[in-house]
Amino acid sequence: MIEADGLRKSFRSRRGAIVAVDGVSFRALDGEITGLLGPNGAGKTTTLRMLYTLMQPDHGRVLVDGIDAASEPAAVRSRLGVLPDARGIYKRLSARENIEYFGRLQGLKRTVIAERTARLSAALDMEDFIDRRAEGFSQGQRTKTAIARALVHDPRNVLLDEPANGLDVMTTRSLRRFLQALKAEGRCVLFSSHIMPEVAQLCDRVVVIAHGRVVADGTPEEIREQTGMANLEDAFVKVIGTDEGLFA
Amino acid sequence: MSVVWTVFRKELLDAFRDRRMVIVAFLVMPLAVPLVLAGMSALGARKQAERMEAMLDLPVIGAEHAPNLVAWLTSHNLRIVPPPADADADVRTQEHDVVLRIDAGFGTDWRAGQPARVDVIFDSSRPMQSGAAINRVRGLLAAYDRQVGVLRLVARGVHPAVSSPLRISDRDVATPESRFDLSQQLLPYLLLLLAFIGGMQLAIDSTAGERERQSLEPLLTTPASREAIISGKILATAAFTLLSIVVTLFAYRLAFSLMPSEHVDISLNVPLPTLARIFVVILPIVLLGSTLLAALAAFARSYREAQGYLPLLIFLPMIPTLFLMVAPVRTQLWMLAVPFLSQNQLILRVLRSESVTAAEWAVSLGSASLLAAIAWIIAARLYHREHLAASS
Repeated sequence: MIEADGLRKSFRSRRGAIVAVDGVSFRALDGEITGLLGPNGAGKTTTLRMLYTLMQPDHGRVLVDGIDAASEPAAVRSRLGVLPDARGIYKRLSARENIEYFGRLQGLKRTVIAERTARLSAALDMEDFIDRRAEGFSQGQRTKTAIARALVHDPRNVLLDEPANGLDVMTTRSLRRFLQALKAEGRCVLFSSHIMPEVAQLCDRVVVIAHGRVVADGTPEEIREQTGMANLEDAFVKVIGTDEGLFA
Repeated sequence: MSVVWTVFRKELLDAFRDRRMVIVAFLVMPLAVPLVLAGMSALGARKQAERMEAMLDLPVIGAEHAPNLVAWLTSHNLRIVPPPADADADVRTQEHDVVLRIDAGFGTDWRAGQPARVDVIFDSSRPMQSGAAINRVRGLLAAYDRQVGVLRLVARGVHPAVSSPLRISDRDVATPESRFDLSQQLLPYLLLLLAFIGGMQLAIDSTAGERERQSLEPLLTTPASREAIISGKILATAAFTLLSIVVTLFAYRLAFSLMPSEHVDISLNVPLPTLARIFVVILPIVLLGSTLLAALAAFARSYREAQGYLPLLIFLPMIPTLFLMVAPVRTQLWMLAVPFLSQNQLILRVLRSESVTAAEWAVSLGSASLLAAIAWIIAARLYHREHLAASS
């Protein structure tokens, strides 16, 4: 379970401080897929970065399975599987070696890594390129490799920043099935997206973020009821206040 | 510790699969350094022999005033050539290294038993190019002077020993190892440069490059600590550089053992224990260089920016070499605490087979290691900055 409580983060820039995240609170429960929906620049990535301890919040706190991220960042990171916004993989290593590297950094034994790699490779349909060097991988192959290495330590909680970015329809479909399988295993899955249909199809719970704030939080049905809109798409536009950047 | 080892192994694997990096480190460097040095040595030795023995053209002004002297010089491998119009200008422009002027009154003085005047015209500001020729002409004149003087004494019934109160004989204590040439003076600098920034490609690639290729953020989502990650990268850079240096040193040894040494009586063979000592001397410099490069690459916003700082780093090891060229000094203990100056002095002494005391070893290795440790702290701090990975 991931809990965000009153997260706030600002950045210094030449034109003064910019508040990127302004009091974001939500919960992502085990056995559920939670979607962080918002237009580009709403603060989704910064929120996620605070969840996986890359950034420290100015205010508020993060709990992962009840562990405070500020006091025990390494313990939190070992409970998270993260697909960050930046998903570069090592081009001179094969997909398998990329996964193995992260497994070793997670402190796993060689035999465990081999067994998990086999399982993830089957689940993500990676068999035909698992032993090829990553130089020249397609976007989909790169994303799959990045997801596999993020999950090699079998984390209870999975964070994905815009996982479907740049993927074709077939890969997106298999990704969707994969996330559902993770949910069925009882994991807590949290992903961000600016694509409304993707979120609507997959999520048990939706947290809508705009201008660094949570503007709606609930099941898709609850959000429809809150806004009084029959159509989910209209509901999103209403809570965000604009449809700008939502369907790009 | 296992994280350091994991990162270390991955970075080395990554580096050895980068063909360009491997070619530069294990082919270009080991070929270039010995070739340049051995080439300089061979060329230098041949030039030296040429200057000492080859036919030397000597312009003589007023050769007609001293036919005997001129004939004697001719018999000693000098070719007398017609003099230039302006001897001073001719020497200054290096048309000739040296010009001889025989005074018009030479014959009169000679017959009267007075010292007859001979001028040697040369330019002392170019000892490298013309020193040998000047010394040869002067030596021949002095020999002629002595020979005729002795004959005159004998003709007057005086024992020639009267005019030689001293019997000077030279005893040179230089060992074959200590009598090395210019190319070996350059070796410390080249080695230090290689040690200091030889790992540049790998260091920048594994830090600034990792950031630019967007793989740093995923790396930082693992529980691995940033200190362990940067340490693994630094050690990988150091190991790669050391390996490149070992190959270069062996290539250097090979090159000098293959070189024909008929003309030179200096020792060109570098024994293995000497190589081992040189290796120990530069070990902390390799660590210092790798750490500084890692810090620099973490500080720079991009690959290109990191490369922009390199000229600065190339200049650092040059300073003591330049200093020693201008003002050669006896080693004092404090100098061994100064990085680069210390290694430069020690490498030269090791090459000359001079002994190095335990205290000197301790000061040299200790100070450089301390600096490397400070650089490590800086690098680790830079790696903790929040915008390191999250720049976009």
